[in-house]
Amino acid sequence: MNKEILKKSQSLIALFLLCLVITLLSDKFLTGANLWNVLRQISVNVCISVGMTLVVLMAGIDLSVGSVLAFTSVICAGFLKNGITIESLDLFVGFTVLGAVLAALIIGFLLGLFNGWAITTFAIPPFVATLAMLTIARGATMLYSEGIPISNLGSSFEYIGSGWFLGIPVPVWISIIVVLLMVFITKKTTFGRYIYAIGGNEKAAYLSGININRIKLMVYSLAGMMAAIGGILVTSRLNSAQPNAGTSYELDSIAAVVIGGTSLSGGVGSVTGTVIGAVIIGVLNNGLVLLNVSPFWQQVVKGLVILLAVIIDRKSKK
Amino acid sequence: MILIAFLGYNSVYFQKLSTHKNQKNVTFDFNLFADSLYFKGILTNTKAIDLNELLVQIKENSDSAFKTHGNRLGIGNSAFFMVKSQGKVSKIDNGQLTIAALNGSFINLETKYIFGNAIRDASGLVKLTDFKTNADFNKVSEALNTVIREKVLPKNISKIKIGDEISFTGALKLSKKEVLGLVILPVFITLKEK
Repeated sequence: MNKEILKKSQSLIALFLLCLVITLLSDKFLTGANLWNVLRQISVNVCISVGMTLVVLMAGIDLSVGSVLAFTSVICAGFLKNGITIESLDLFVGFTVLGAVLAALIIGFLLGLFNGWAITTFAIPPFVATLAMLTIARGATMLYSEGIPISNLGSSFEYIGSGWFLGIPVPVWISIIVVLLMVFITKKTTFGRYIYAIGGNEKAAYLSGININRIKLMVYSLAGMMAAIGGILVTSRLNSAQPNAGTSYELDSIAAVVIGGTSLSGGVGSVTGTVIGAVIIGVLNNGLVLLNVSPFWQQVVKGLVILLAVIIDRKSKK
Repeated sequence: MILIAFLGYNSVYFQKLSTHKNQKNVTFDFNLFADSLYFKGILTNTKAIDLNELLVQIKENSDSAFKTHGNRLGIGNSAFFMVKSQGKVSKIDNGQLTIAALNGSFINLETKYIFGNAIRDASGLVKLTDFKTNADFNKVSEALNTVIREKVLPKNISKIKIGDEISFTGALKLSKKEVLGLVILPVFITLKEK
């Protein structure tokens, strides 16, 4: 029983130990300003990672989230700042903050839907289909923005990424809502059960009457939408859409999922585990910066931590 | 259905493209803005901190001093401060006044080459987000510097001689990491009556 509890809380214990070590080495870590900063920073990865969790639970993978984030980011900023001009109709369509945000969410959803469609219709492995989307979305980002950042989006839009509500940063509120929604979906809905069932044994799930293709379409669409939320947060925080935003974010989100205990072969894992994984990565990043570790070494350390997490996970399952 | 209609109504708006382009082309008068910024903003702003007091506070706790009195646009170790001080003019060289302060230190006042964003940023009165582009934001600096360089300072500069006592308020850039020379871009100088 005790061993079981220990197994379930190993990510949490790792997070606690990590915080303890960094606190001992840096007196700036455990300050209010720094902790809020860490939470604000990880809120983007949390949003992307919970979407990725659903995909990985289904034994899939989504390599396109970083590029989808970048594309939705420039769409959101571009629509907000420049709107859409239709010369032939002498028409200008302007977007409010709400409109630009909704547009980004819809685009993210559609890009995810396209991933799901390619995977289910042509039986393309998720790795390949989403790798293709990674390139397509990045190219589309460059085409739309012409490689130039879109800046100065106004203070009301900036509030989403930089504002405070009831003493907590707005991005943290957004990630809390996203996490609660995803926990509800995975734990309390049949859709959530189907995701676990497909990840556990796709053939058995099919034979038991689950519409696998429909679930996959929905899961990839949700992952795209989560990436779009990440895109909106990043854009708002910087008050600028950067065409190269989100580069390698897919790796950070996969790392958060794996560290959080979700099995890459599907069927096992949880959204809460992923949140802990994302916090571990955020704290690790922050700690390495506070300790003045070179950015090159930071990557090495991050890689080793991911490797260690997977080894511990494998060992504990044996 | 009602929700979609509500979201749609609050999300987009339509305009004739020609009307939109005309609205966009309405030019913003940076000179007028800079005049107002200087005479109604900077001149009436009493937030300038005494230079000696600032240096003491920085020595005691630079993080706190930079946070309380400094203005900066992004991240980084340097910030702009609006400071005030006084002293005796000990040297005048190509528009640069060297001032011997009361505590024995020397401060340089640059009265000829007033360029860059120091005054705009030290004032803390203008935000990047108030302008559509970085270029527009920089035009504020250009116009503001011109007001000070061409309208404000010439009134007094020609009267100042070595040995005169002056008081001044100006913009100063300081860095937490490296010690920069105390070169101040003045926003106004007052010649003390003998």
